[in-house]
Amino acid sequence: MTEMNQEKSARVALIGWSLEAIEAVDRMDRPFVVVGPPDFETYALEHGIDFVSWEFDRINEKSGELYDTLNELGVEVAVPLYEETVEWAGALNSRFQDDMRVFNRSMLFRDKGLMKRKAQMSGIHVGVFEEARSKEDVIRFLKRVNTALLKLEGDPNDPIHLKPFDAAGSVGHRVIQTAEDVDALSDNEFPCLLESHLDGQEFSCEAFIHDGKIYFLNITEYVHLGHSNFVPASPALEEKRPLIKAAIQDLVDSFQIRYGVIHPEYFITSDNKLHFGEVAARVPGGHIFQLIERAYGFSPYQAQVLCSDPKTTEDELLRFFPSDKDAVGYAGSLMVYPKMKFIERLNLPDELESHPYFEKHDMFTPETSKVADRVGFGNHYGTVFFFGEDSHTMTDLLTKYEEHDFYL
Amino acid sequence: MSNLTAKTFDDFSKAFDTLENAKSFAKTLHRNEVLQLARRMMQDKKGIEHLYGFADQFEEAGLFTDTPWEQPSKLQPILVAGTLKATGNTALLEVLSELRMLAIAKGRYENSQVTSKDASYFLNEVMAHNINLLFPDTSESSRIEAGPETERANILFQFLADHLSLNAILHSLLSEIDRLALQRPIMVNRITKMILTAKEAVTKTTTKADREKLKKYETAISGPTPISKKVLNSVGYENLIKTAGQNELYREAELFSESMTKTGLVCPYHADFLRYINKAKPELVGTALCLSDKGKANFEEHVALIQKMIDIAVFPATCQSIYGLSLLLNRGVLSSLPVAPGLRRLIDLDIHPEVGKTLESQGVTPNGVMVAGTISVLGQPLGIGQGMNPTCQSARGISLWAQHAPGKLLELIAKAARDREIEMPLEGSAINSKSLAGGLAPDLNKELDPISLILVPHLDRIYDEMMKRMVFRGEDGHKWVNPAIYGRWVSDGFTAVTDPYTSVISDYEGFVRRFYATHHPDYNGGHELIYPNPVGIFITNVHANLLGLHAISIQRIKADPSGVMRVYFYNPNNDGGQNWGQNIICSIFGNGEEEGESSLPFHEFVSRMYAFHYDPFEIGETQAVNDDVIKKIETLARDSWGKNYVWAAQPGANMY
Repeated sequence: MTEMNQEKSARVALIGWSLEAIEAVDRMDRPFVVVGPPDFETYALEHGIDFVSWEFDRINEKSGELYDTLNELGVEVAVPLYEETVEWAGALNSRFQDDMRVFNRSMLFRDKGLMKRKAQMSGIHVGVFEEARSKEDVIRFLKRVNTALLKLEGDPNDPIHLKPFDAAGSVGHRVIQTAEDVDALSDNEFPCLLESHLDGQEFSCEAFIHDGKIYFLNITEYVHLGHSNFVPASPALEEKRPLIKAAIQDLVDSFQIRYGVIHPEYFITSDNKLHFGEVAARVPGGHIFQLIERAYGFSPYQAQVLCSDPKTTEDELLRFFPSDKDAVGYAGSLMVYPKMKFIERLNLPDELESHPYFEKHDMFTPETSKVADRVGFGNHYGTVFFFGEDSHTMTDLLTKYEEHDFYL
Repeated sequence: MSNLTAKTFDDFSKAFDTLENAKSFAKTLHRNEVLQLARRMMQDKKGIEHLYGFADQFEEAGLFTDTPWEQPSKLQPILVAGTLKATGNTALLEVLSELRMLAIAKGRYENSQVTSKDASYFLNEVMAHNINLLFPDTSESSRIEAGPETERANILFQFLADHLSLNAILHSLLSEIDRLALQRPIMVNRITKMILTAKEAVTKTTTKADREKLKKYETAISGPTPISKKVLNSVGYENLIKTAGQNELYREAELFSESMTKTGLVCPYHADFLRYINKAKPELVGTALCLSDKGKANFEEHVALIQKMIDIAVFPATCQSIYGLSLLLNRGVLSSLPVAPGLRRLIDLDIHPEVGKTLESQGVTPNGVMVAGTISVLGQPLGIGQGMNPTCQSARGISLWAQHAPGKLLELIAKAARDREIEMPLEGSAINSKSLAGGLAPDLNKELDPISLILVPHLDRIYDEMMKRMVFRGEDGHKWVNPAIYGRWVSDGFTAVTDPYTSVISDYEGFVRRFYATHHPDYNGGHELIYPNPVGIFITNVHANLLGLHAISIQRIKADPSGVMRVYFYNPNNDGGQNWGQNIICSIFGNGEEEGESSLPFHEFVSRMYAFHYDPFEIGETQAVNDDVIKKIETLARDSWGKNYVWAAQPGANMY
């Protein structure tokens, strides 16, 4: 242990199994340990990765043992990699930092109802929302929202959104417009959060925060939510960076977020009004970390570790992060979903692979031909990565190839 | 034309670099990108060549880490074809693995497991097995099946052929045909296919010896006689022989039978010929079948039955049964009393429609196919193969009955074909295949001889059920199951190498000594084997790595012409000439083997044995066996399949 104390940086625990994160942190020359599901133990052992096996979905009186184990290993910082590990990291960090509120704050991220309430109480602009316990609640909310919108009998309803309290991104997200939509819901989807529909352009941000201060803010432009996005945002959206940055600082202050990375989603209307969608405190989906690395040249995983460690100095942070104007180009990703039930082969146009913006893709003709049912926007079958200098070309490419049948 | 750009080559180099520099845990993270780019490069020759430039670094970069290709010594040429057609990155890794092998073969780097010679041998074997990929045929079916995978495989094989010698490939293909044909299998479709593809590989520089060998095989299946050489189809052949003179017909009979006995392959015109003379010139049948004096006597005694069988069963589509008929008569099988009535019953048997469907053949009735199959099995009991199925036990059973209980075999065939059920007693309780599901091969691969098609589904389920009932006996279940299935002549004494519960090997020396004392004529009192002994062996590959357990039967134990004591055995595995590593290469010819037999020197065979039956009342001199011999065998065992097992320390091992 004495040897450990002599090291400059505190040992980090990565909460969740991600080879990308492991590789990035491994390059940082700082001691780390991975806390992951038991399935990965053999692999970790074979490849010399310090590993603590843990079952995250089992919460009981023994959960405290994880802190003891990590504490003995000299860990001082826990970094969550997945939605489901956010509260575990929160619990650990509140013990490491001796501040119970760290855990409570992490719970804000894991309960969308609580999150919205907190935002609303802090004066952040959110849509109308309610917590639903049954289908009746959904019907009533749909009616009340549309009545408030002064809809007449026979007018089509404005949609409302239904989301589980604690699932990542779009998992379990449903759009409800009619009574039939409500009928189609099953009882195990309750309780959940209901929200009115927000108009405007949706985007996400990745804010790297240390001691309550934003050191780096990335804006990710969604071309089509769940299908395609790119980094940094186009000039039209980047232009609103000061407004966005202020809104996020507002969010950080009111949620009293001090360390780590947050991934909030907003809607921006043509008259420059920002509506808060939701916020997560983990690695974002949509390969956004990969895109940031490609565009700005730093590893967001390493950034996350630095920002999660209260002992990191301001100097280190300033040296680490580039300026938000330093992007070398636009990095985009297109997530591909098969459009049929059975796949026979992969259909990659030569034209795509020879496009100067084309970087790589990770699709192979799958071994099984049946397409898995889709949950949220998860389970995409593959991703195509692009990189280039012009945001319009990027948008066009992403829009064009979203229509393409990559699987036949 | 290559549509690969410099950017692709550049990207590949970068991606390969990243993979090479990645730590072992992150290899999987970066492998996909390398494979994606490799996939694009495999689309043309220039790309493959570029990839080959990296081939000596593939292993070190971790391209094969944690994949089935990690250890080149474990790879098997026969499996390459299937993998190349697989989807996903399986096929890509396979292509890259072949390039790696080529790099080893060409001495571009050294692999600790595989020598340059091993790698060349491997690649020649791969090419020999897949010659159709090198010379893609243009048939409709292959055109429809053709996809990017086939195209990629074609490009790879062209590339390999440029670097290997086409003559070497043809040579190994012909050796392969020799090897397979010498074993006289009943099913010859694989050999026929190889002969046809070998034809495509002939070049101007092909050696004379290879040319002649190929010609021998090619004419054997296409037309070995003056008249058959002239015609295009059966109708043409029938027309010509009707007008042929006596001398011409005699010549036909002679040459057909000569070609058949030389190659084990029968030409379809031989069937047309036999059908014709069967009616018009019965005096030539003996010559056309190459009958010995014993065969002729058998023929004359049962002439009506044989004529009837030829009439119903021998057609171009079932021509291979002519070879079976020849051997059946020469072996005198019809002298066994139940055989003739058993065969007569099959001719008129009311075959179950479902069974009839599996016996469909061009222009032959199901009864005809079944009788043809029965003739083959009785004539070539060692030519029965398990095909692509894990049913060595069942194949071995059919072979054993065909040799020693033909009456029982005919009874089983009739029951299975008519009633679709077989019943066998196990220690007093009847096991009926009708009430059993599963078995080892619930989806039987249908490339089998007709009798296996009829019987194996039943035998397989019965065997599986019997073994299940033996699970808690505390000894290997074969001890009881083998006699129950095959017949009471299988001895009750039984011993296996491992403890069935712990899989530990506790008394290997005792096992070996017991086998010597019961089977080796020098130690068992000079007795020879009366019935074949169904034994279990450890199958190992050319690198002596364990592949699995396998059922074979010992046919005879005898000194070979040069005086070496050998075990002659039947291997239902379609290929009795395997290389089991450690220089243990099963011989199929030239060491006193009969057709279809494999053989090994006694001690080499023992080193692969897993279990055997013996008569507990006939144990010879256990202690007379030389310690050095035992040590030698144990070393061979420990260094091969023994690596997969725990060996208990032997108490008192030094006391001998």
